[in-house]
Amino acid sequence: MEYVSPEGLRLDGRRPMEMRQIRAEIGAVAKADGSAVFEMGNTKVIAAVYGPREVQNKSQLIGDQALVRCEYSMANFSTGDRRRKQKGDRRSTEISLVIRQTMEACIMTHLMPRSQIDIYVQVLQADGGTRCACINAATLALADAGIPMRDLVTSCSAGYLNSTPLLDLNYVEDSAGGPDVTVGILPKLDKVTLFQMDSKLPIDILDNVMQLAIEGCKAVANYIREILLENTKELEYRRGV
Amino acid sequence: MVGLSSGEKQFIQGGIAQDLRCDGRKRLTYRPIYVETGVIPQANGSARIRMGATDVIASVKAELGKPSSLQPDKGKVFIHIDCSPTAEPAFEGRGGEELSAELSVALQCCLLGGKSGAGAAIDLSSLVVVEGKNCWDLYIDGLVVSSDGNLLDALGAAIKAALSNTGIPRVQVTADASSDEQPEVDISDEEFLQFDTSAVPVIVTLTKVGRHYIVDATSEEESQMSSAVSISVNRQGHICGITKRGGAGLDPSIILDMISVAKHVSEQLLNKLDSEIAAAEAEVEDDES
Amino acid sequence: MAGKATSTPTTYSPSPTSHKTKVPIFSDDRVRPDGRGFNQCRPAFFRTGAVNAASGSAYAEFGNTKVIVSVFGPRESKKAMKYSDIGRLNCNVSFSTFANLVHREGSDHKEYTTILHKALEGAIMLETFPKTTVDVFALVLESGGSAKLPIICFSISISDNFVMHVVGDLSVVISCASLALADAGIMMYDLVASVSLSCLNKNLVIDPILGEENCEDGGLMITCLPSRYEVTQLTVTGEWSTPMLNEGMQLCLDACAELAKIMRSCLVDAAPGSEE
Repeated sequence: MEYVSPEGLRLDGRRPMEMRQIRAEIGAVAKADGSAVFEMGNTKVIAAVYGPREVQNKSQLIGDQALVRCEYSMANFSTGDRRRKQKGDRRSTEISLVIRQTMEACIMTHLMPRSQIDIYVQVLQADGGTRCACINAATLALADAGIPMRDLVTSCSAGYLNSTPLLDLNYVEDSAGGPDVTVGILPKLDKVTLFQMDSKLPIDILDNVMQLAIEGCKAVANYIREILLENTKELEYRRGV
Repeated sequence: MVGLSSGEKQFIQGGIAQDLRCDGRKRLTYRPIYVETGVIPQANGSARIRMGATDVIASVKAELGKPSSLQPDKGKVFIHIDCSPTAEPAFEGRGGEELSAELSVALQCCLLGGKSGAGAAIDLSSLVVVEGKNCWDLYIDGLVVSSDGNLLDALGAAIKAALSNTGIPRVQVTADASSDEQPEVDISDEEFLQFDTSAVPVIVTLTKVGRHYIVDATSEEESQMSSAVSISVNRQGHICGITKRGGAGLDPSIILDMISVAKHVSEQLLNKLDSEIAAAEAEVEDDES
Repeated sequence: MAGKATSTPTTYSPSPTSHKTKVPIFSDDRVRPDGRGFNQCRPAFFRTGAVNAASGSAYAEFGNTKVIVSVFGPRESKKAMKYSDIGRLNCNVSFSTFANLVHREGSDHKEYTTILHKALEGAIMLETFPKTTVDVFALVLESGGSAKLPIICFSISISDNFVMHVVGDLSVVISCASLALADAGIMMYDLVASVSLSCLNKNLVIDPILGEENCEDGGLMITCLPSRYEVTQLTVTGEWSTPMLNEGMQLCLDACAELAKIMRSCLVDAAPGSEE
């Protein structure tokens, strides 16, 4: 199948180095301490953060830092064909773990010992790159909850199809079976915290693809920063400062 | 999980007794309802309802299936509700299953009507393509994104809005197969048919707190309830289903009183909801054109 | 799939073949297939002490419907459970493999279990046994109608193999369970009696059997505490006008009162002093 046309356009009309439209909104779940919606094209996720609060299960308590937990779930209607999934299948357990580890790396857990932070991400629409969208939404939700972080974490995927590096794969491109690189970075510190790849890729090309994904992460970071700034200004305005 | 001090409890109960609730509403006033339709593009129909901090999404997906041998002249409707842990940490893992099951059963009871199909939200025989061979299976999925009480009414309203938004592809039977084969059907990509949703009832939950009952309770108010009765009422003012929550007993005369109050409230709610759905639908069409 | 009917919305009309004349279920005037009148319940039979190993048990037989309920406890709650200053009630309803006409694996019915739990918890004085749990296990040996639940499909939609759970005998299970609880000496405010009713072509038919239930326009199940005159559970499906519903509820409540008398006399008979 041809994923990049001779004119250099992808199936959904994007250029190889073009991201899908991103949109974010803070405060979607009123009862949560922090929440956000993040959309990348047709992929849409909600993240809610509860905490820091008392550790619910005493046996999990950590004496010198906060316990970070994460649960990823997909709505029944999120995919094209409706399939009822049991909660806690392998895929969602794996993604929960990835998100938890990524977020844990940037939360200043040592400031909140003996407490617990819960991150819940719910996929409303899945069209490739749910993992990235979840991490981005979780970052925003954590920032909204006012949890101290070293830096924002942003994530973006990239792939390599028809000998072309492609940024931000959608579902069709993702399921093409080609290499798929997911990167999460701390943009200010310029560090990579998450790196996952499926399939195989020559080392010299991997560098290219990874750079592309990092560029994508930076673009997301800029957008997220804008959204946060806007949100802060609005809060300021409401307080009458 | 609502933690209230005894002072707060007193305040809620006292307010309800004086017909002035914590958020300034009267006992029989709903919170403002916001309807958004067509929120899930890959579904045949979808809607999102917000009432205060309660936020639910309903989607309708239609798939071609085979009618059951017991009722060859009827399609099938499945209702399933999920409670997302984003709404409440207690729904994490399997924690939301109990509530999900309770809501699913209550909605089936309130919306699917009797065995003969009387009082059902959707005429099941309208879902048949070829009798005994092909029918539409409607999968109605609800998702609780954020919860602040009164989930059942919100889900009922969301399903009503999602059904109004649903387009079912027109199906043409191309080859009339012999008796034991599946007929070939041609599903149109362009022509969509809509449901007649005038028969879909609304659900009114009356929550009894102290000696009075209230509509559209928030989760703080629900934590103080002794029992709650959910009554689904259609346009004609007929009762289409009742379920009761909470273990405490109720005097039969109170239940009858609740039914008459619910009928009265449902009229306003239906009008409000219909106009909101129409407005949301108009907006979707504006976006498309 | 995102296509909506942006053109003129046509109503999805029923296919013309679907209007068939149904065979009327009542051949003769006001006589039902099993020979009862409309306002006549099936003969009820109760017996306590059916299971020796249990702290209390009861057997109930309503026509073809045969149910056995055993009560265990109060026993210490599991360690994993949090402290509770009131007792816990743990219910389970299951069907024997031979309960229905169609052979099926004897399975648990979560929906029935929740309803049984809700029907009983209002009657039991849970505060009299803190930190402990009472188990109520119900087994439907043979089922003959009277399941007042909508078509239960969500539990089986995984297989997409549509099976209608129309059989089941929830109201019999509830009444029998309260008798078993009484037999076990669990403190209750009152016995719990439950009766169901069907609305068929504007006729109210009490205590319906399977055949009647399958073509009902509306169903009603009431669970009440007859002496206190309180309703603990109420489930209504189908379309009802208010006067009809009032009449139906009254009919059910009267039947509950009658049923409670039978249940009470069964308990009195079983009491040690009553035998010669």
